[in-house]
Amino acid sequence: MSVINQLVGAPPRPGSRLTFTRLGRTESWDLTEVWELSGRVAGYLLGLGIRPGDRIGVLAANSLEWVLLDLAALRIKAVTAGFDPGKFDASGTELVARYGLAVLFTDQHQTAGRVRPIVAVRDLPPLDADLPSAVWEPGDTPALKFTSGSSGPAKSLLASAGSMDSSLAAVQDIFAHGPGDDLFVFLPLSLLQQRYWVYSAFVFGHDVTVSTYEAAFAGLRATRPTVVMGVPGFYETTRAHLEATAARTGASPSEAAVEVFGDRIRYLWTGSAPAAPATLRYFGRAGLPIFEGYGLNETCIVAKNHPGAHRPGSVGRVLPGKEVLIDLDGVINIRSEFPVATRYEHAGPGESEAMFRPGGIVHTGDLGHLDEDGYLFVHGRADDVIVLENGKKIIVRPIEERLKACPVIEDCVVTNPSQRQLVAIVSPATHPVDARLIAAALRQANAALDHDEQIAKAVLADRFTVDNGLLGSQFKPRRKQIEARYRRLVIDPEEGIRA
Amino acid sequence: MPDPIETTARAALAEVLPQDLPPQAIDLDAELDHLGLTSLNKVLFLTSVCDRTQVGLHHFTEHDLAAMRTLGQVVEALSRHAEVS
Repeated sequence: MSVINQLVGAPPRPGSRLTFTRLGRTESWDLTEVWELSGRVAGYLLGLGIRPGDRIGVLAANSLEWVLLDLAALRIKAVTAGFDPGKFDASGTELVARYGLAVLFTDQHQTAGRVRPIVAVRDLPPLDADLPSAVWEPGDTPALKFTSGSSGPAKSLLASAGSMDSSLAAVQDIFAHGPGDDLFVFLPLSLLQQRYWVYSAFVFGHDVTVSTYEAAFAGLRATRPTVVMGVPGFYETTRAHLEATAARTGASPSEAAVEVFGDRIRYLWTGSAPAAPATLRYFGRAGLPIFEGYGLNETCIVAKNHPGAHRPGSVGRVLPGKEVLIDLDGVINIRSEFPVATRYEHAGPGESEAMFRPGGIVHTGDLGHLDEDGYLFVHGRADDVIVLENGKKIIVRPIEERLKACPVIEDCVVTNPSQRQLVAIVSPATHPVDARLIAAALRQANAALDHDEQIAKAVLADRFTVDNGLLGSQFKPRRKQIEARYRRLVIDPEEGIRA
Repeated sequence: MPDPIETTARAALAEVLPQDLPPQAIDLDAELDHLGLTSLNKVLFLTSVCDRTQVGLHHFTEHDLAAMRTLGQVVEALSRHAEVS
């Protein structure tokens, strides 16, 4: 039976727990209790008139209610649409209209029409009748998920039950999560993959601890998980902290790591973006195996290193149900036995066709190769992309194009040394430079950009030329050389022109 | 004599800033964002400074953390709880 149908078909075995740890508060439930509570929420949703295929939005930070709503939606074959409050500036009412939601639950203190407070699902009465049975077919779509757009609102797609099953089963095959494990999740539950670890706990019988971003470090130490679900920005920041701690206290890397992660780590998961090889090596030497993988929102998990097959520098072997096809340009294309989707639900003109190709193939835009043993190596993006520490991917080219459209900017490269704020390295069109005009250009560009895409400041560079090595032979800016030459100005908070 | 919480907080912050800045050179009123502190580094900094000053992080909520935008505000918040802990 499929993993999703095992999840919705029967209560879990007792003995595994769901724990929520926030700053100042930790609560824990046996999964059988969570199952029973999710049944109450399912009954409540049916009472609101929610029917199979209806979309239920959740705009909230990680919480028990988040999990209950998602499980309830699965149990009545509704579609969960998760919105991270840090990413979506739109009001609940706007999200309801934009994404066709039957109802939206939020912790953002908004109540209007179909927008309800998420606490409404916490203290519901027990069910007085059985729920109708729910069976998900591979082509059904339990989740509406969002992915970074090149401009404007996020793109969305409906993820298939078949792709979710395929990924959950493949991951379970290689990591064998089970009794004794506690998977630590601190990224937003609005990301479908973070909810996978809750589903996995129900089906494969392990603990799962969900934290908030802010409570992650305090929660890790208190929880002593066996697995941490992170992204490269998290591990790179943590590595810097461990190195500083070791230098300050004289602790060994492994002793410093135990202080942060606890003493039970089986492995660290990293994905969503390439991790720095030095960071991967650091954790390996500190006694914490870390496994890099590869996948997009549009493909789900494609490849993953794991204890049984790990080749440093690669993103692992390709998982069952996925096939990697490298095209003549060296771009990775993915064919899935159960495609995640065949088109976007919401996207700009031509974006679906550019990503989803006939035959269930996804054109990733990433460059890579497979070695003779089937390990996949990713070399970078065909288009340049910046990945923030929260995992959000920022496609910089449209932002750079927008800046270059301003008459005072001849050329520019957008970078993000802090993994949070974007900085533009600008080659001005006129000399001497009028800083007020550059600031005005930033403000003008920012006005049309999403929150995460906005430029915090610009630093002034020499004119990019082939002679000075800042332009390539095709007259394209040489990103790495430019970033290296102006790194001091970029990271110095006293330097630059702010928007 | 300098406030021990401020001294500890300055040292902890200097460790996580992207540029080399002597602890005493950090402006108490400078926005942590403008100093180049990422959101995760801010969490690490606050966790670390709570550890070193023995002020329990449990005194604060996620909302409290978001409201601490300068080093001065961090020192003030920690000092408030240090007096009662």
